[in-house]
Amino acid sequence: MISLFGDSGYDNRSAKGKLFELNWLLPALVMLTGIVGVIMIYAATDGVWSHGAMQHLIRIIICGFAMVVIAMVDIRLWYGLAYPAYVGALLLLIAVELVGVNVNGSQRWVDLGVMRLQPSEIMKPAIVLALARYYHDLPDWRVSRVSGLLGALIIILLPMGLILRQPDLGTTALLGATGIAVVFMAGVNWRVISLAGLASIVAIPLFFRFGLKEYQRARIWTFLDPSRDPAGASYHITQSKIALGSGGVSGKGFMKGTQRQGEYVPENRTDFIFTVIGEEFGLIGSLLTIALYMTIIALCYWLAWQCKNAFSKLLILGLTTTFTLYIFINLAMVMGLAPVVGVPLPLISYGGTVILAVMSGFGLILSAHLHRKIDLPRSD
Amino acid sequence: MLGAGGVGVFGVLASRLYYLQVVKAEDYLTLSENNRFNYNIVVPERGRILDRYGEGLAVNRQDYRAVIIPERVPDLDATLLKIQDVIKLDDRTIERIKNDVRTTAKFIPVLLKGNLDWPVFSALNIRAHNLPGVVLEVGQARSYPNQGIFTHTLGYVGRANSADIDKDEDPLLLQPTFKIGKTGVEQAADQSLRGEAGQLKVEVNAVGRIVRAWPDPKDDAKAGKDVWLTIDAPLQRFSAEQFGEDSGGIAVMDVMTGELRTLLSMPSYDGNLFVSGLTQDDMNRLNNDEKRPQYNKVISGGYSPASTFKMAVMLAALESKLIDPFRKVVCVGKLRLGNRNFHCWKRRGHGPQNMAEALKHSCDSYFYEIAQVIGIERIAEIARQLGLGQTYNIGIAGEKSGIVPDPAWKQGKLGSGWRMGDTLNASIGQGFVLATPLQLAVMTSRIANGSLAVSPNLIAGQTLETPPPMTIGSNNLEFVRQAMWSVVNEPGGTAYAKSDLGLDGVKMAAKTGTAQVRGISASERRSGVRKNAELPWKLRDHSIFVAYAPFDKPRFAVGCVVEHSGSGAGRAAEVTRSVLAEALKRDGMAPVATITEPPL
Repeated sequence: MISLFGDSGYDNRSAKGKLFELNWLLPALVMLTGIVGVIMIYAATDGVWSHGAMQHLIRIIICGFAMVVIAMVDIRLWYGLAYPAYVGALLLLIAVELVGVNVNGSQRWVDLGVMRLQPSEIMKPAIVLALARYYHDLPDWRVSRVSGLLGALIIILLPMGLILRQPDLGTTALLGATGIAVVFMAGVNWRVISLAGLASIVAIPLFFRFGLKEYQRARIWTFLDPSRDPAGASYHITQSKIALGSGGVSGKGFMKGTQRQGEYVPENRTDFIFTVIGEEFGLIGSLLTIALYMTIIALCYWLAWQCKNAFSKLLILGLTTTFTLYIFINLAMVMGLAPVVGVPLPLISYGGTVILAVMSGFGLILSAHLHRKIDLPRSD
Repeated sequence: MLGAGGVGVFGVLASRLYYLQVVKAEDYLTLSENNRFNYNIVVPERGRILDRYGEGLAVNRQDYRAVIIPERVPDLDATLLKIQDVIKLDDRTIERIKNDVRTTAKFIPVLLKGNLDWPVFSALNIRAHNLPGVVLEVGQARSYPNQGIFTHTLGYVGRANSADIDKDEDPLLLQPTFKIGKTGVEQAADQSLRGEAGQLKVEVNAVGRIVRAWPDPKDDAKAGKDVWLTIDAPLQRFSAEQFGEDSGGIAVMDVMTGELRTLLSMPSYDGNLFVSGLTQDDMNRLNNDEKRPQYNKVISGGYSPASTFKMAVMLAALESKLIDPFRKVVCVGKLRLGNRNFHCWKRRGHGPQNMAEALKHSCDSYFYEIAQVIGIERIAEIARQLGLGQTYNIGIAGEKSGIVPDPAWKQGKLGSGWRMGDTLNASIGQGFVLATPLQLAVMTSRIANGSLAVSPNLIAGQTLETPPPMTIGSNNLEFVRQAMWSVVNEPGGTAYAKSDLGLDGVKMAAKTGTAQVRGISASERRSGVRKNAELPWKLRDHSIFVAYAPFDKPRFAVGCVVEHSGSGAGRAAEVTRSVLAEALKRDGMAPVATITEPPL
């Protein structure tokens, strides 16, 4: 019998003792980033507290508690829940397909009455859990074999296919990249990875031609050649670059961004919130934000390094990779290095499910680290 | 290895940030300023057009209007559809808007609709936030009081067309809310009325609405200059009343300076119609009216001067010294030349007439007789000296020169030789001779002032040069003036009945003219020439009258044509007499009943 909060045959620490042993630096940094989000949403909404900043604050506090609770839960429980969570998330994605709410032409949300859930966000930690467990259980010699790869591939491709149908190109790419990263970190040898790389080079153009909606193709074309459409899809990118660039080194000052005031950058409360940071706090603010993220990421890698079992290691690495990719894709998009794909900046962008997913992910990371000394047997 | 990858990944982002926020920062700052700031062209207030006493004839009124800024409108059709909830736009307007949006730069506002009333304007204001790119503004629009009495002179304003834009670089012309003068004084004095465009630095948001403005005095628009006319507005209104429903033109001119106190063409039309955009109905009504309201008859209408031309013939006779003015010619009602009869207006003839009597009675036979002796060249030369057959550049377009015919003219124009019959027709102001009412006023002025070839002017404040003297002897002019006096002041004169100006002791001198607009056949003459009243309006004679007053100290001269209203001693004489009397009263010859304050 596994007790949830300690005091068992495997883990004889008390809940209080576990709380004491928790790595508090990570929650502190996460909450700090969330606070940055509150401030920037406040600015993005022209200083109207109730247009998102307040909600964001409430969410990070609630999710902060959830994060600690998740951290306290024994890793073996999460191990046990890995597949059920994945299947649950998969079912939610199918539910979206059937009864989803349509916003802006994509069907991404399930209305639960109290909140709208975006199952694709839930799938992000879930897929890492599932893959971590899959590789934890998989004997080392099978990792680079076709049979071993096939299982991982199914785990990755099923949700990707469902999310692509919504359609949500950004999340699809993010899931794929996360999955591949976990597979890679699980120790798949280089030959297989090179082969996969070659296959994707062949697959991408085909996918581009047959797998994308017209507006998605347009966005990518526009990204590649902005002059094709000066007032349409590239408007986002152009205005976003103007906002960042005009901020200069020190920025225009808090609440003084003119791009923001003039509402030139759409979605600047959500996906394009970094433009507000860049415009109002300049290069200094931008780099500090990135540094904050890098500290979190580095800390997570250090936590993973301390873990003994494969599940914990892969869980932390996978979740951190998702987090990193989020940040990278969002920033690259805002800076005009990547097409506009609708990936939020984690912890700073306004949006409930993302915060829930990201902070749950940190809860899992903390849990994995907190229970790093527990021996987790392979289940088959 | 992962760490290295992470640092690499964020290194890319950091260097991109460095590129955007340090290397390119200036450029992006400029772009963001451009986003934020617009230099809006400020349309200057158009100068007014005033009468000689400062009464506003063309003024500006507040105009509530809606414009759209194409680059800020996401979907033009949807916006136009949505705006129809509040203002109805007909198909022509929608087509015009779409055309404007297509053809002008995307940042220049295109007029949706002007002349909105307050309820509509405020209703739009409330909905404006749902209509990105739709901007409401209070501008100025041209307005012409007086129901069109001054339209022919003032002209009107309208949107610059592509031809205007091609020949004028002024950026104002590209502003759809800007209007340029299209005709009349509005057109002629456009450059000085227009003023100079200003600039206004404004901060705009993504949908083009102005968030803030930074007015800079040195960038202010320079209002156009007011243009003052020599016209006496109350006198012109009075003249229009005298015309009533009749058609024609009248010019009242200062005989010394040439200032036009009245320059009226009737009927007129309301210039405001053209400012707000003419409807098809209005257009049809104007075009189908047989009295041709749009035609500026007073300067463009060429009429046979008829007997008013006889002064020119008289002067030619006196100058040539070929005719003894006291020798009598017997009028038997017609004169035979070759196989053609030339008729006097009086069928039974005037009997023996000397020169002064011939003018007083307007005896045609006398002039047929002497014209043969003088010859057309001498007559034409005097007619030109009196101001006929030429334009004067009074400052508005549309002046016609009329015709003073001579053999060279006929050869050039018709390719045929001059015949004596042409001379006979010309001698009574018929045939090829044509003059405008303005020219008749000029002719009369020159006869009246006795020495100077005065020319008319309309725009006040110009430096006037002393008109060149005429070569016509002043004693001969005096002789003609005496004869014109007897036309109105001696029993038997053709306009004796219309002589009383109603000003104690102030007398005028005048000449009647009745211009035929149809040929009269020999058979009709035998059976009796049909009376004007029996004819369709279009075939009736033009009534023509020229006069000046006071006789002993000439002040004003009038040229007046009332179309198709019969004898010159009739309508034209009545109108001229009233107008001349009113002009003198207003000039201080007698107390004026009402002194009108110029409305501002």
